[in-house]
Amino acid sequence: MKNRGLMSILFDYAGDKKKYYTFSIITSLISVVSGIVPFYFIADIINKLVAGVTDFNDYTTDIILLLVLFLSKGVFHIASTSLSHIAAYQTIKWVRKRAIDSLAFASLGDVKRHNSGSLKNTLCERIDSTENTLAHVIPEFSGNIIGFLLTLIYLTVICWQMGLIAIIPFVIGMVAYLTMGIGYSKYYNNTIAKTKILNDTAVEYINGIEVIKAFGKSEVSYEKFKKAAIEGSECFVEWQRNCNIAFSIAMSVAPYTLLAILPLGAILYFNNVITLNIFIISIVMSIGLITPLISSMGYLDDIRKAQTIFSEIDEIVSIKRLDRPSVSTVLPADSGVSLKDVSFGYSDKEVLHNINLEIKPGSSVALVGPSGAGKSTIAKLIASLWDPNEGNIYIGGVNIKDLALEDYNKMVSYVSQSNYLFNVSIMENIRMGNLSATDEEVMEVCKKCGVHDFIMNLENGYDTIVGDAGSHISGGERQRISIARAMMKDSKIVILDEATAYTDPENEAIIQKALSSLVKDKTVIVIAHRLSTIINSDDIILVNDGRIEAHGKHEELLNKSELYKNMWLSHIEGRDGDYND
Amino acid sequence: MTTMIKMLMVFFKFCSPKRRRQFYGAIVLTVLMGLCEAAKLPAIWYLFENIFGGTFDLQVVLNAFLIMLIPVCLSAVFRYASSMLQVDGGYSTAAEKRIEIAEHLRYVPMGYFNNNSLAYITSVTTNTMEQLADIATRVVMLVTTGLINTLIVVGSLFFFDYRIALVALGGVIAFLLFNEWIKHMGKKFAPQKEKADLAVISATLDYVLGISEIKSYNLFGKYSKRFNEANEKGTKLYTDVELKMIPVQTVQTYITRLIGVCMTIVAIILFISGNNDLATTMTVIIASYIIYSSLDAMGAFNALSKIIERCVEKGNEIMSIETMNISGEDYKTKSSDIEFKNVSFSYDKKKIIDDVSLKIKGNTKVAFVGPSGSGKTTLCHLMARFWDVQDGEVLLDGKNVKDYNIDSLMENFTFVFQNVYLFNDTILNNLRMAKEDATEEEIEKALKLSCCEFVKDLPDGINTVIGEGGSTLSGGEMQRLSIARAILKDSKIVILDEATANVDPENEEKLMKAIDALTKDKTVIMIAHRLKTVKNCDNIFVVDEGKIVESGTHDELMKEDGIYRRFISERKEAVGWKI
Repeated sequence: MKNRGLMSILFDYAGDKKKYYTFSIITSLISVVSGIVPFYFIADIINKLVAGVTDFNDYTTDIILLLVLFLSKGVFHIASTSLSHIAAYQTIKWVRKRAIDSLAFASLGDVKRHNSGSLKNTLCERIDSTENTLAHVIPEFSGNIIGFLLTLIYLTVICWQMGLIAIIPFVIGMVAYLTMGIGYSKYYNNTIAKTKILNDTAVEYINGIEVIKAFGKSEVSYEKFKKAAIEGSECFVEWQRNCNIAFSIAMSVAPYTLLAILPLGAILYFNNVITLNIFIISIVMSIGLITPLISSMGYLDDIRKAQTIFSEIDEIVSIKRLDRPSVSTVLPADSGVSLKDVSFGYSDKEVLHNINLEIKPGSSVALVGPSGAGKSTIAKLIASLWDPNEGNIYIGGVNIKDLALEDYNKMVSYVSQSNYLFNVSIMENIRMGNLSATDEEVMEVCKKCGVHDFIMNLENGYDTIVGDAGSHISGGERQRISIARAMMKDSKIVILDEATAYTDPENEAIIQKALSSLVKDKTVIVIAHRLSTIINSDDIILVNDGRIEAHGKHEELLNKSELYKNMWLSHIEGRDGDYND
Repeated sequence: MTTMIKMLMVFFKFCSPKRRRQFYGAIVLTVLMGLCEAAKLPAIWYLFENIFGGTFDLQVVLNAFLIMLIPVCLSAVFRYASSMLQVDGGYSTAAEKRIEIAEHLRYVPMGYFNNNSLAYITSVTTNTMEQLADIATRVVMLVTTGLINTLIVVGSLFFFDYRIALVALGGVIAFLLFNEWIKHMGKKFAPQKEKADLAVISATLDYVLGISEIKSYNLFGKYSKRFNEANEKGTKLYTDVELKMIPVQTVQTYITRLIGVCMTIVAIILFISGNNDLATTMTVIIASYIIYSSLDAMGAFNALSKIIERCVEKGNEIMSIETMNISGEDYKTKSSDIEFKNVSFSYDKKKIIDDVSLKIKGNTKVAFVGPSGSGKTTLCHLMARFWDVQDGEVLLDGKNVKDYNIDSLMENFTFVFQNVYLFNDTILNNLRMAKEDATEEEIEKALKLSCCEFVKDLPDGINTVIGEGGSTLSGGEMQRLSIARAILKDSKIVILDEATANVDPENEEKLMKAIDALTKDKTVIMIAHRLKTVKNCDNIFVVDEGKIVESGTHDELMKEDGIYRRFISERKEAVGWKI
């Protein structure tokens, strides 16, 4: 997504706090003007000093007005900065809220396509890091630039020659600064390339350290890394060595207005073009002229960074919403599932072609097929992670697009290998399946699916907080808790997406038991990596290349399908053949 | 200011002496730069002195110009020199730290490494050091320039009038006091802010990571409420804190301006009373505008110093991982007998291996069996000295593993599934890791034995470059390639963990064949789960709670009513499970 202008972003997200930004700008301007008007009184003081006025009373009005103006500058600065901070925090709040809401209404598949770590990073740290820019840019950036312009105009009105002279060093400095750009792309690309090599080498060295050690290659790999680290820093030093000359000249000369004002002003004064008073006030006015401008240039980088972050946010906010009514018109008659002419692709590439499938209520159905065939995609479509590109999915005769999310979710449970447990007690985690369940009911369910004993063995039993470092809940145990939670929900349709794959073998038997009690009397759709676990299914659906190739009971398929037969033989060969002895 | 000095000290201590000297040099050059820039005051004074003294001519103008021009040229030179020292110091520090970390990792016990620790070390070595380099190249100049320049101008005022100079000095002190006060306020609010931050982060995290569950259990109400509350509360707190800080920060900035006005007043009074001449008075009034312009910048670097501190902390954290002495003897083993003598091992104060004694004869096949968390994996790790034992000793070929140098110890071991990591290099080079001088025939044979026939079908065959982390190959293919590599290594002992061998059915058969080829005629130590493998073992050790509770062959153990028999019946159930 293209980077938008910062102002358009701010006004878009600031919500009802837009006017705070407006007032912040206005007060900032008043503050700037309060800083410029004093030059008039300074000039007056200088006039009097040069004229030799020796009565202090003649100076008091000037001094009092000076103090009043400084005070007003301060007060308006406080007002402006406070307003912009309020607005900034409100903006951040709304950004976060809108992003979170967007996640709530998006299809799960689209959400899952974003890496959850980077989502969290964007929504927490990265948004927070824009606070400084959002809060300071508006008052300070605008204040600095307008302050520069107004002072310059004021100076030019007093004496146009001095106005011109005042910016000579800045112009010279900028010319020097621009010569920095010569060879920029060459050096820049070099640093990018070297940094990439360094990072790749680091990733390999560190992630491969076990292999490196196991094969006795520490010395070689270490030398390779060392070389990359040194080159990765030298390229930057080399770049700086070349462009820093121009930069040093620019930074020394650009703000040094006196370098031009003092000699050239003196010559003008010598030739009676300007008066001594004008000469002196020009000196005073020129001193702080350029510095704010240079510090504003520093903000440009911050603004660019904020724009990048906001374009990430825009992407999250604009995730397509899953189109579902808030109230279902009809409720499903039973727990049958059917797919009619369903086609689906993640991006351009279609992975499912014209799938038709009928799953009877209360039956158990297995999706099998080579990896990449599309069996998992079918399960995910039924689980409503995505909507099909074409065709429709029906539950109990009702198109799932006509079901309110709430009603749909009551009907369907989706259990995969990676279920999230919240950072609350085990009791609360399981209760999420049915918020109105009592503690006793939760325990009852846990007993049924065989997790009660292990929970009771934990130090704090059901009150153990899942995420606590000391709680030592293993992956297998987590999965059993999440199965108990799914049982608690007691939905009529259960989808098991490789739910027992990758669990450690010691836990497998226990998890299987838990699953068996979960799926009792339910419509079950299962994807399993071990064919032997599904041979008793009412219907086995063989998916190949995005199409349903065959279906039927185990024995039927063995006769009917060469592919299934091969898969079965390969499975028998690989697995413990002697489990029956 | 104290924070600033503290930060610089922490950072300098982190750098090598050579880089520290560079940064000190940069500070000295910054002082010289400040002196050069302060030359504008004498120039102004010189000009006015001649104007008001009636000795004004073009020669005076030229002189005044030169008084500024020569220092400004010098100042550019000093600035260049100073910033180059910093650039070199900053980037080189990053490079040196990276190398130090890499060096350190060579001596860190293998057992320390897991996905989390590796990801963290990688992130510190790359991102954190990059951030450090970026900031280190400017931070010294940024934090010191403001104060140094101001002090130089204030100091030079003493040449004109000590009373005004004292007023100016008072301004600097007031500024620094306010600066401390702001830091103090910041610290006071920090715990509250941290708490609010944490609440927002954890609410967001639950929402993002648990979105599937939130959707499928209709938990929107609860979690939206929690998020909104944290979000609102956080926003309110941040805003409140900021609204309290802003006036103080503003006063800090404007107190210097106010002192500027005071300087003007004092200058007028001293002029009226005849203490100062007009040239001095004008110079002082102008100076009151110059003096604080660079001071404002100083307060703004608190954020940077926090980042530096955090970077240094992370770097030090990795350097403080305990290492072990790996420089033993170069020793070629004659047998692959392994013996544990009263070995105990604890990690994080938790006893994992408890007084284990066992013997494994060379060229036998043994299995460790037991519940997860019983210590099977650790026993295997201790053989190859992934950790050092706290009590007892581990012997290989009758010699304590601590007395081997690490390379000659590792030569004896091959781990299967420990970490299937292939390098971002050609398949050939990945295989050559195991045996540099492997002939074409040897490599071909290894590939054939490990069922890696897919290599032939790759566009560049054996010269195909494997994508980062092996991404262009399937998991099963990578596993088999790593077995081919292990076959080439041809070590005496193979340690095999079946738990991680869960693969899809199409690959299972090939994988088993590859493993069979690898383990042929070797000492094989496995963490076993499959009945078939366990049954064929010469000896089975049943591990429970860090102890060997039973040992013997399958048939012997089945006769006893122990953990093993229970375990086997459970496995049968699992394998025979049907939905």
